[in-house]
Amino acid sequence: MIRFKEGNLRVPKWNRRVFMVAGGTTAYRKYFPEYKLEELVMIAFKNLLEDNDLKMDPLEVKGLINYAAYGEFADHFQDQLLCQAKVHDYLGLDPLYNMGIKTGGATGGSTIMQAAMAVASGYANVALAAGWERMDEVDTRTGNFYISTAACKDFETRLGRIYSSYYAPMANRFAWAFKVSEITRAKIAVKNHLYACSSPYAQQPGKYTVEDVLNSPMSAYPLRFLECCAMSVGAAAVLICDEETAYRLTDRPCELFICGGTHTLRVADRRPMDIPLLPHETPDMYKDLIEKQSRYPGFESFLAARFAAWLTYRMAGIQNPLEELDLVELHDAFTISDLQTYGDIGLRPYGQEQDYIESGDAYYINPHTGLPGKCPSNLSGGLIGTMHAVGATGIFQAVECLWQLQQKYDKFHGDPKIWKKWGKKKPKDWQSLQIPETSKQALWVSHAGVGSHVTVGILRKSW
Amino acid sequence: MTKRMAQTKFIGQVTKVRQEKPAMVIEWPRSITHVHTYGMLTPFFQGLKEGKLRATYCPNEGCPENGLWIPPRAHCPDCHSEMKWKTLRNPVIGTVHTFTEVVYAGTGIELSTPYWQIDVEIPGVVTIPKSYLLYGKPYIGMKVKAEFRTKNPTNTVLDYYWVPYET
Repeated sequence: MIRFKEGNLRVPKWNRRVFMVAGGTTAYRKYFPEYKLEELVMIAFKNLLEDNDLKMDPLEVKGLINYAAYGEFADHFQDQLLCQAKVHDYLGLDPLYNMGIKTGGATGGSTIMQAAMAVASGYANVALAAGWERMDEVDTRTGNFYISTAACKDFETRLGRIYSSYYAPMANRFAWAFKVSEITRAKIAVKNHLYACSSPYAQQPGKYTVEDVLNSPMSAYPLRFLECCAMSVGAAAVLICDEETAYRLTDRPCELFICGGTHTLRVADRRPMDIPLLPHETPDMYKDLIEKQSRYPGFESFLAARFAAWLTYRMAGIQNPLEELDLVELHDAFTISDLQTYGDIGLRPYGQEQDYIESGDAYYINPHTGLPGKCPSNLSGGLIGTMHAVGATGIFQAVECLWQLQQKYDKFHGDPKIWKKWGKKKPKDWQSLQIPETSKQALWVSHAGVGSHVTVGILRKSW
Repeated sequence: MTKRMAQTKFIGQVTKVRQEKPAMVIEWPRSITHVHTYGMLTPFFQGLKEGKLRATYCPNEGCPENGLWIPPRAHCPDCHSEMKWKTLRNPVIGTVHTFTEVVYAGTGIELSTPYWQIDVEIPGVVTIPKSYLLYGKPYIGMKVKAEFRTKNPTNTVLDYYWVPYET
């Protein structure tokens, strides 16, 4: 049982307000020999400086930066220690200090949190957060082995050597505990592959049916290949500022709130505890669930995600996430991790996660009503449809949230020149996934391990 | 005049080129052996080779957690006391908490695929350790018995596994 003491539950508070003003990204590919890693980061950085309608010359904006945080998941993928030094020099930012951040799949979120802390503390007025991964130097099975070393090497890695085999037991337990059909998981895969069709950056777009997903090859039962994320090469970046600089740079800044939570690397070690309640939840809601399941978080839920949401909602003053959020970008490394997270961040109560999909709330257009979904999820295409260049992922998700709130989805996804830039042709049936102009807040989840590190970030429209 | 006799020679292997266009891509071979310690958990791995499943527990009676740990820990995460060892009495009977069939595994997999990976509840143990089922098909709630690879041990966590247990 984890027992908290007074200081453990202090809600983080910035010393001054923090904003996100611009984002940049590359496209994502399985194999990307055209560019070296630092060249990809430069492309994302230039996209950030030059294409975000900032009110200053790109090099003048660069001249405001005095700190950088860089995210990279695994040195053994890049085969280059101190990669951040190489990138920082390549971007022309020496001798400004930079720090490398590594928290597995949550690296992107942690990198933004680090840049935000630099701004909030006063160390920097303008901080760059950039992330990348180059996963194409080894073949796919070796890549899977590398990733599986982010399980416990003594007690877990040898039992699978692929990460799907650490999530699949959760999927089986979750289905058993909450009576969830695998069709619900397949719908998540269908949705995210489909949304990736609107993205010029996407690696795995596709118009699949539920049957296609369920008939795709098995990775680890019950997770099929079409339910698993991409293994990608690419880079993403965001610019984080204090309030005064934010409004100097753009008329459309978004205020940033972000907190994190952690839990054991081994799911085996997750001892039962009380559920930390979100602002809209009451203990009565979970009386039956705890009696039936006997343990929380068990194999069904992610305490790290719940704890991060618990903090971030209080930091940002969110009372009811489903009512107050207009978009979420979740860490759909696997369909099951996406599904589990709906409960962790309170889009549905624990035990009723599947209703977020089945109700149509998670869709851009609710398939039952033909009207906009209540809180659409992963319009970027997510990790399943678009990318998982691990160190870049949590940053790419934030970029997508920012551009959506700034009403720039079409600018960055619908321009035929962007499709051409990445060697693609804009589809004739391309559909805009821009959320309404009245939208105010977007959330993204950056998630590591089998829930070892999770950040929950919120961007709030501030104009 | 400087003699050329002592010039530096290339003594490596010529690097292979995978492709020339659109960019030059080379091969970068790796063959590395790490030396890894089991540290204070050595009794666990020694025990497997002797047909014993060993767990640790916190001896501090004031600690909120006195249950058994597998995977074991040398120190209690709650009060930081040094843990004690306990050997579970054979036969160790557990219950399948959840499972998966590993079909597509990463490089270096040491078990023949497909195989059943299982997470097992063990009476008195606060954790739910991951292992594998040697034969049979698992289901949630299935009773299983621990067995050990005492002959030709692998010196890894693969030295214990479970088999169906029918009363």
